[in-house]
Amino acid sequence: MDWVIVQHHSTHETVQHKGAATAVEFDACMKHKLVRKSVREFAEAELGPIAHEIDQEARFPLEVVEKMRPLNFFGLQVPKEYGGAGIDSISYAIAIEEISRVSGSIGLCITVHNSVGISPILKYGTQEQKERFVPRLASGECIGAFCLTEANAGSDAGGVETHAVFDNGQYVINGTKIFVTNGGVCSLPLIFAITDSQAKPGRNASVFIIEKGTPGFSVGEIEDLCGMRANPVSSLFFEDCRVGPENLLGREGDGLKIGLDALDAGRIGIGAQAVGIAQAAYEASVKYSRERQQFKKPISSFQSIQNMLADMATEIDAARLLVYRACARKDSGKPFGKEASMAKLYASATASRVTGKAVQIHGGYGYSKEYDVERYFRDAKVTEIYEGTSEIQRMVISRAILAEPV
Amino acid sequence: MLKMIVCMKQVPMVSDLPWDPVTGTLTRDAAEGMMNPACKHALEAALELKERHGGHITAITMGPPMAEEILREAIALGADRCLMVSDRKMAGADTLATSFTLARAIEIFCPDFDLILCGCHTSDSETAQVGPQLSEELNIPSIAVVEDLELHGNTLRVKRVSDNFLETLEMDLPGLVTVATGFHVPRYASMAGLHDAFREPGILTVGAHDLGVSESVVGLKGSATRIVDIFSPVAKKENIVLKGAPKKIVEELLDRFDDKIGSLIRKDLKAVG
Repeated sequence: MDWVIVQHHSTHETVQHKGAATAVEFDACMKHKLVRKSVREFAEAELGPIAHEIDQEARFPLEVVEKMRPLNFFGLQVPKEYGGAGIDSISYAIAIEEISRVSGSIGLCITVHNSVGISPILKYGTQEQKERFVPRLASGECIGAFCLTEANAGSDAGGVETHAVFDNGQYVINGTKIFVTNGGVCSLPLIFAITDSQAKPGRNASVFIIEKGTPGFSVGEIEDLCGMRANPVSSLFFEDCRVGPENLLGREGDGLKIGLDALDAGRIGIGAQAVGIAQAAYEASVKYSRERQQFKKPISSFQSIQNMLADMATEIDAARLLVYRACARKDSGKPFGKEASMAKLYASATASRVTGKAVQIHGGYGYSKEYDVERYFRDAKVTEIYEGTSEIQRMVISRAILAEPV
Repeated sequence: MLKMIVCMKQVPMVSDLPWDPVTGTLTRDAAEGMMNPACKHALEAALELKERHGGHITAITMGPPMAEEILREAIALGADRCLMVSDRKMAGADTLATSFTLARAIEIFCPDFDLILCGCHTSDSETAQVGPQLSEELNIPSIAVVEDLELHGNTLRVKRVSDNFLETLEMDLPGLVTVATGFHVPRYASMAGLHDAFREPGILTVGAHDLGVSESVVGLKGSATRIVDIFSPVAKKENIVLKGAPKKIVEELLDRFDDKIGSLIRKDLKAVG
């Protein structure tokens, strides 16, 4: 470990190199504790009572979104001048964790909107683009999305077929994006499209900011998915959709770089989301195992159950620390791609394992839709798939390892 | 401008906190702290008055250093400044020593207040005494357990439920109210508010020396009461769960309780059967 979080004061967290460090402190600072309590209070009160229902009805709860807007959930890390909260990355991860602990679908909406939906505009946008688009996203007036996946492209970004042709001072976009998180409600999605099919891979794609209402841009049916059912995941269609150069993010050919950059940040969010889902499943399991009686004893008195709970708690802790490490590196301005991938890889696998054990501990009830662990089990799986499958994360990590000097 | 003070206390987050049978005090370290729910309602009442009439809110707490968290939370929610009264000498204070200490802090650090708002009671000790005692210490009028607050010039009009009656009372300022839970529904802290609440590294913290009071009048030494004994209530009644088919359950219920049910509906169920 080449970093430590040092707390000089109860309210301040800083990250230092090992050489300069005087203490390793893994307890949350007061700020992060208060962020967790505040977000938990909101999520349990506002999302808790409807989390089961919105999953069953596959309904996006606009009434809760309205309440989240003034609390800055749609501009978590956006600087104040654009209407955001400007919080640090660990606070960000805690917020995503706590929302996801109650509703994975809404945690997904918030993290995708904030990370891959907004951060590329903040990093690569012109001043004019930032002023034009970011305040609308940060206030939650517009919901963002990031569209890379297509029928023949996902892990292989080179397989993208959506293309944008420059014609008469405008780009003409044609193609179909699938499995777009927030697709059904997004009004400022970022689109990944080929702008120069002759250029070498890695330099042939660009990213465009598309506004809802642009002729030729339409939204498909909401997907009928296994989990994350309250998130309106859908296809987006582009048929001769014309946008001006002012909607091109970065330079032509920057697409892959912007996409990979966005995904680094996005993976912190998905890691945090996975930790939140796992935490919910773990808490439900502890509670249930204390209450459920078999052989005239609570099942928590059996070693088989105790072992499962111990493994669940240990893996969640490890996953959480990996996520926070990636956050700390990001905030200190260091490269964090490898660490974000490690966090996402481990946290998503943890979410799947932990929710699986939670179902097992609940027995037949865990397999019933009456109990929340069934929802956690379904929601967890996709954290191993989106924003880079576990296989892609291993590729990113191994490339980083093998590129390190011997 | 209406100058308000909201007094608040950090309480343990769980209700069934273990207590030390030797000292008779709660083992507070065992749980995370939180802003006492009624204090949060008092802060909300102050924030709503500020929104309607303009004003300035100072949040004050007396407690250990970890209680700083609720002052940060108050800032995140919209308080303008905060004051921490913290000193090891103040530990173990009963309500009398607490209200005495708070009164001295208010006299020195925010003497020109118009209205003090306290929560009506705390979730850990439930005495409901500190607010009214504080008004006695400061020699100002007070109204306890208020719900609705309206400001008319220098007069505060409040509503409160007293037994089964809804009272409307008026009080000239400066004065003190303790706020009931239920009416002023606390807002949630925004993420921007939380971020801002931690921008200043330190907060104003004062001890016994700063208040010019001796050790003998604060904390355990300054307390007029002592906890003689503390115990968990023992449930003497046992719940009975009847199981089986509905018909069997009803029969068993009547078998067991025919006397009680019969006397309630004024029928001799044995005779009916």
